Amino acid sequence: MILTAEQKDALTELINIGFGRAAASLSRLTGHRVQLEVPQVMMCPVGELSDALRPYIDGEIASVHQVFSGPVGGDALLVLDQRSAGILKELLTNEPALPLSIDASGREVIAEVGNILLNACLGMFGNLLKVQVSFAVPHVTVEGLEAVVESVIVEREELRYALVVHAGFRLKNSSVTGYLIIVLSVASVDRLIRAVDMWESGR
Amino acid sequence: MNEPIADAALVRWFEEFAEQGIFTTDDRLHVTSWNRWLERHSGRAAADVVGRPLLEVWPDLRDRGLDEHYREALAGHASLISHLLHGHLLPMQTRVGEHLFAKMPQRARITPLSAGDRVVGTVTVIDDVSERVASEHELRKQIEAQQMARNAAEKALRIKDEFLATLSHEIRTPLNAVLGWARILSERERELEPQLLSRAVNSIFRNATVQARMIDDLLDTARIMAGKLRLQMQPVDLLAVTIAAMDVLAPVMDAKRIELKKTLDPRVERVLGDPDRLQQIIWNLLSNAAKFTEPGGTIHVRLDQVHKSARITVADSGKGINPEFLPFIFERFRQADASSSRREGGLGLGLALVRELVELHGGSVRATSDGAGKGSTFVVEFPTVLSPEVRQNHANREGLRGSGVPSIEHVHVLVVEDEEDARDLLIAILAEAGARVTALASCAEALEHVRHAPEADRADVLVSDIGMAREDGYHLIEQLRALPPDHGGAVPAVAVTGYASPEDRSRALAAGYQKHVSKPVDPVALVTAIADAIRRANV
Repeated sequence: MILTAEQKDALTELINIGFGRAAASLSRLTGHRVQLEVPQVMMCPVGELSDALRPYIDGEIASVHQVFSGPVGGDALLVLDQRSAGILKELLTNEPALPLSIDASGREVIAEVGNILLNACLGMFGNLLKVQVSFAVPHVTVEGLEAVVESVIVEREELRYALVVHAGFRLKNSSVTGYLIIVLSVASVDRLIRAVDMWESGR
Repeated sequence: MNEPIADAALVRWFEEFAEQGIFTTDDRLHVTSWNRWLERHSGRAAADVVGRPLLEVWPDLRDRGLDEHYREALAGHASLISHLLHGHLLPMQTRVGEHLFAKMPQRARITPLSAGDRVVGTVTVIDDVSERVASEHELRKQIEAQQMARNAAEKALRIKDEFLATLSHEIRTPLNAVLGWARILSERERELEPQLLSRAVNSIFRNATVQARMIDDLLDTARIMAGKLRLQMQPVDLLAVTIAAMDVLAPVMDAKRIELKKTLDPRVERVLGDPDRLQQIIWNLLSNAAKFTEPGGTIHVRLDQVHKSARITVADSGKGINPEFLPFIFERFRQADASSSRREGGLGLGLALVRELVELHGGSVRATSDGAGKGSTFVVEFPTVLSPEVRQNHANREGLRGSGVPSIEHVHVLVVEDEEDARDLLIAILAEAGARVTALASCAEALEHVRHAPEADRADVLVSDIGMAREDGYHLIEQLRALPPDHGGAVPAVAVTGYASPEDRSRALAAGYQKHVSKPVDPVALVTAIADAIRRANV
């Protein structure tokens, strides 16, 4: 399944609206101006997710995992390499980072950031599709890329697609890069793309 | 099993026993349940809360923007409230060990309560994370302490490495001169011109002295670090000590054309200390000042009584101290410029020794500087305590004519000393002892006096400084002993020197002095030496 240039542009624009809301929440929360760069979007089959991400993200990864359900269901993740997660936590809280594996408070902050970002994007999709999407409480894990990808593949045999969104946070003259991964079934992707097309043509 | 009954039991369990705060609302955000844990920690009973709008019971939630999470929950979205970004959801108190948290640190999850597809309300679960916060705080403190200890150890190691490099360089430099001249002397023993010979000997002497000083500093440092430095405490006259130290360094100042100004208050009370160590303190300060002062500069030495302290101030017009280096100036092995190309020699031990010796005397030392190029000022203070012992000594000073001290009353003493303050001190001591004093500032004047004074005015004894700027005390005694005995050639003589090694003593005696007294001059020792010298001459 390949996105056309128009579909890609439309998705980028939609997610950017969600990012804008998330950035506003984070700014309000931390008292600092937090910006999110204009997202870059790509789509790939879940089986190719490791290969697609490996050049950009390596080593131990902090991932915020949130399952969503309703007429459109799937998994959503925010993944950051451990270093970026530490920096992001330090920038947001002014507390020096400890290794995330022993810093439960730090993991919690990353979970909340993921929660805000994922809720904003998924909420936006829900509005677009005019359906109610419910999300579970997010949880954080710190593990390698393979294990992260494994956790979204496992138990489900059907062919699924991953929408991968590059998320660049900018605050206090620093920038931190992470990736938003939204895993959807073929049916859900179809529905989403049709809605995107309609939204695009309705403008 | 009847499901509604089981559900009700489960709800009751959460209400009674859960180790978390759990409350629910309906879809209008009116509180529908409030568990025991919350009653216990928030101080609000379920009866107070249930049935009322959540945001009215806790208006603070709206003020902090947390009401949005409840609206999201009603739209089906779960949210996490982290402790680090929010502190807490509801204000509650807690205590972990000794630690009282005025606001219990909390993590909260706000989730929709769904029945089928419909959201019928919200569930909030609050965790008390104070134990976690306390242990993370402890962990962070330990990590920081370890980091600091590691940094300090690494720094100490680096400073020692630098010091070792400096040490080998500094010890080698004078050694090269000594070896070089020794080689020349051994190769050209026969045809050596007298002028070259004297240069060689001077250079060897000077360089070996420098090296001996360094090794003394090293040994002193090692003794202090091992706590093995012993002080011979006694009441000490800082005026005499200061003058003696200035006297020793006068040739260095002259050679560099540094003007040595002094404002010394003779009324400064005595301090309890080791005279040699006190002199070493002032020496080190003066030689440090001399080292960093350009030719033509000025060094000003002051001695004042300030309340119950004696204060010595050494101020120079030299290169000053960089503000960044100022806090470290008295640290062992530290030098502002540790590079191999630095201009000034030395081991970087002098000022560290000053501080350690001053502190061993119960005193204090501080340095100030307006910055690079603006000169430096070192201020040392020692307590002047008039203990009974000290008072006794004061009495001795006044009682130089008393019992136990040989009398030199009415003895005519010829004093030769080129340093004005040192001369005044000698005059004062001798006058106190009842002697008649003629004080002169140079060898030439002294010889003139001896040769031409009428017999009635001829001195009974000579007291001469050895290290004088032009002709020294050795030269004087040589000239004097060459005179006929009845024209002053046999006058008993006492040498006063700042160079107090056994070699100096024997050299002075060999040159023709009868007695030797080292600076700082002890009044009783001086009077006794004069009386002895006269007695011997009359035997």
